[in-house]
Amino acid sequence: MEEVDKILIHALKQVGTEVSEETGSVRQFSSELIVEAVVRCVRVIDPGLGGALPTSLPPGMSARFRVGMSLAQACQDIGYKGEIGYQTFLYSNEPEIRSLLMFLVEKLPRESAEASDQPQGKSAVLQRAIAAAIRAQLSVPWLPPNCRLPLHSQTQSPGALHSFHVQPLSLAHCSPGKKPLKEVKDYHRDILPPVTAQPSHHASVVASILEQHTAELSAAQEWDSEWNSQGLLSRLKPQEYRSRKLTRLRKRIEEQLRSAALPSPESASGGPRPNGDLSELLQAFRGSAPSDHILTKGSHFTHTQKFTFTKTEPSTSIPFVHQSDSDVQLRQQEEQLSLQEQQLCSEVDQLTADMKHMTVTHAQVLDKLKQRELGNSEKEEKMQVKKKTIDLLPDSDDNLQKLKALVEASAKRVVHLASQWEKHRAPLIDEHRRLKEICSRQDLESSQKLSEIKSVHDKICVSTEEAKKKEETYKQLVTELENLPQDASRSAYTQRILEIVSNIKKQKEEITKILSDTKDLQKEINSLTGKLDRTFAVTDELVFKDAKKDESVRKSYKYLAALHENCNQLIQTIEYTGTILREIRDLEEQIETENGSKTVANLERILSDYKAIRQENSALAAKVREG
Amino acid sequence: MVVLLSRLPATECIKFCHRVVDGLCGREPPRRSEHSTTWSPEEWLQLLDSLSAFYRRAVGSDSSEEEVRARGVCWGGLADVGSSHAEAVLSVLRARREEIHHALLDRTNSISSATLQDFDWQLKLSLSSDKISSLHTPLLSLSLDVREDAALRSVTMEMNREELNTLISSLEAANKVIL
Repeated sequence: MEEVDKILIHALKQVGTEVSEETGSVRQFSSELIVEAVVRCVRVIDPGLGGALPTSLPPGMSARFRVGMSLAQACQDIGYKGEIGYQTFLYSNEPEIRSLLMFLVEKLPRESAEASDQPQGKSAVLQRAIAAAIRAQLSVPWLPPNCRLPLHSQTQSPGALHSFHVQPLSLAHCSPGKKPLKEVKDYHRDILPPVTAQPSHHASVVASILEQHTAELSAAQEWDSEWNSQGLLSRLKPQEYRSRKLTRLRKRIEEQLRSAALPSPESASGGPRPNGDLSELLQAFRGSAPSDHILTKGSHFTHTQKFTFTKTEPSTSIPFVHQSDSDVQLRQQEEQLSLQEQQLCSEVDQLTADMKHMTVTHAQVLDKLKQRELGNSEKEEKMQVKKKTIDLLPDSDDNLQKLKALVEASAKRVVHLASQWEKHRAPLIDEHRRLKEICSRQDLESSQKLSEIKSVHDKICVSTEEAKKKEETYKQLVTELENLPQDASRSAYTQRILEIVSNIKKQKEEITKILSDTKDLQKEINSLTGKLDRTFAVTDELVFKDAKKDESVRKSYKYLAALHENCNQLIQTIEYTGTILREIRDLEEQIETENGSKTVANLERILSDYKAIRQENSALAAKVREG
Repeated sequence: MVVLLSRLPATECIKFCHRVVDGLCGREPPRRSEHSTTWSPEEWLQLLDSLSAFYRRAVGSDSSEEEVRARGVCWGGLADVGSSHAEAVLSVLRARREEIHHALLDRTNSISSATLQDFDWQLKLSLSSDKISSLHTPLLSLSLDVREDAALRSVTMEMNREELNTLISSLEAANKVIL
């Protein structure tokens, strides 16, 4: 029982019951302690049920009775099957309490089950650590600034917080495959200050480092994922893929810029040419670029803007200021000038429109010219053919013959050439087919290899993830192991259990031994009684036969009968004493159990409690009467 | 204008140029108080302007060293300085080319009228309000440092979980459009 009690007390301590060090067994539990232990267990098992129960017994007797009743009800609600009532708590007896406490401790939710429900992984551990830290900080009461100890200043004073400001840092990276220039090395060695000295405020050091690190990390990750998803499929080298993406982006930017630039007045007056590429366009946008004609046009635009602004300002200020003659003249002049300027502007616009028109008509005229030229050359050819035929006309027969011969020769040549062509063509076509086959085979192979690469890549990803997960779980388990309370070690429990099991085995063996012994004894007794019966019957017969003849034998026969009877009586009495001894032992056990359940003390307590209740009742009645 | 550099000894000159490049890259530029005896305020401003303009153009036009040497004359009067000083300026350019390139790329990236410079967030747990005694709602206060025409403006907002989720999803959608 000692072992069981120790385990029970340990479990109760974990629930939060204050069990003093001296109490080593359930026998020493007082009623108050029992009530507290049971209520705390019930609260852990079912917070809704246990929340209403008080942890200590009230002073009044009737109130105690009620608490006992509600506790018994709660235990039955949880599922306790044994006999339970208010008397269990108020007038405790050891075995009942032990069985009740064992039931409750078994019902307690296991920590291990809880842990397995929680999400795994490094982030989970981190989150739990954060939650623990926040809980600890929340449990610290808020203090006014004057009362703060240095311990609180970290979490409670706002002065320790810095806002997150990032400044660019310069780090000495060693990019692989590229040897750094001598100047770069010198700079890194002699002049570059350490990272902690680079930002202007000391507070932004951590922020800057974190930011730089995340930026690099996310860039690397993004590239990795893009390369795996799209880059591998494009069957290009990384550099080629990058350059292709760059050109694509350039094209897009160029389109965007052009479409944005078209409606602006700059390009209406003949801005960047429509067929230039991005760099040209950028040149056009770069203010300090040496491409002068665009620069002047931009400045022209700003000039007109300036003019319109300066023009409106004086006109609004006219009515308020007294004007001298010269001012008036100046104003007139200005107006004239602005009028002239406007005229000029409109002229320029007109001229540009004219220019456009002209260029269009010019292009049209050029087209027409080309067409005409083409027609001319055709006509010239026709004319030459006709001229030749006219030349040939006078000697027609001869020429006809010649022509026929020529035609035949050329037909022959054509046939010859065709046969030659066929000769050349057949191997070429074969070659072509062969190459095509090789090509398609290579294509197939390459796609197979690509898919293999992809699958290998996926496998790598999966296995790295698995490795990571396993590492995380390992770390988590290690931290959990470290966090586990050291006082109740699992191995000790298992050892004890094993010891108990071996003890039980030994006892079982002994019991079987004793059982076989008793069986043997029984057998021996049976055989002996049988033997006795038989020998008695035989002797009885022999002696009875002789008894008729001889007087002394008759006497001995009488003795024999008496002996037999006496022996039977003896055996009977021995059996009787055995049963009586057994009964005595039973009764002694009963007495012990009754003693264990503190009946006398409990009866006395019941009596005193009964008296107390009666007193309370009489006091209440007196109050009622007074009231 | 770089001719003003010749008032410094050559070793000092390298350090000074590095400080100027630091200023270009977003870190602390050189302070006038350290060189108040060497240059007058106007000269100081001119020198800083011309030096940084020189570096910007040399890296921005992506030109080789010879081109820089040749064009340096018209960009900042590089020829007027002594050869050791010119060498110092060019060595700083060689050493920091990558960094300046990155800084210029950043400048180009933040071409729009307002750009996000920094952001900071704090998670707050509001325990109660004037209406509800027990609230226990986590609130995120997000502050965005927005640079608008070279002036920093701080935009601060506070939002609960759903609002934060909407913000994040809309930002992700915007990112997808750009890609």
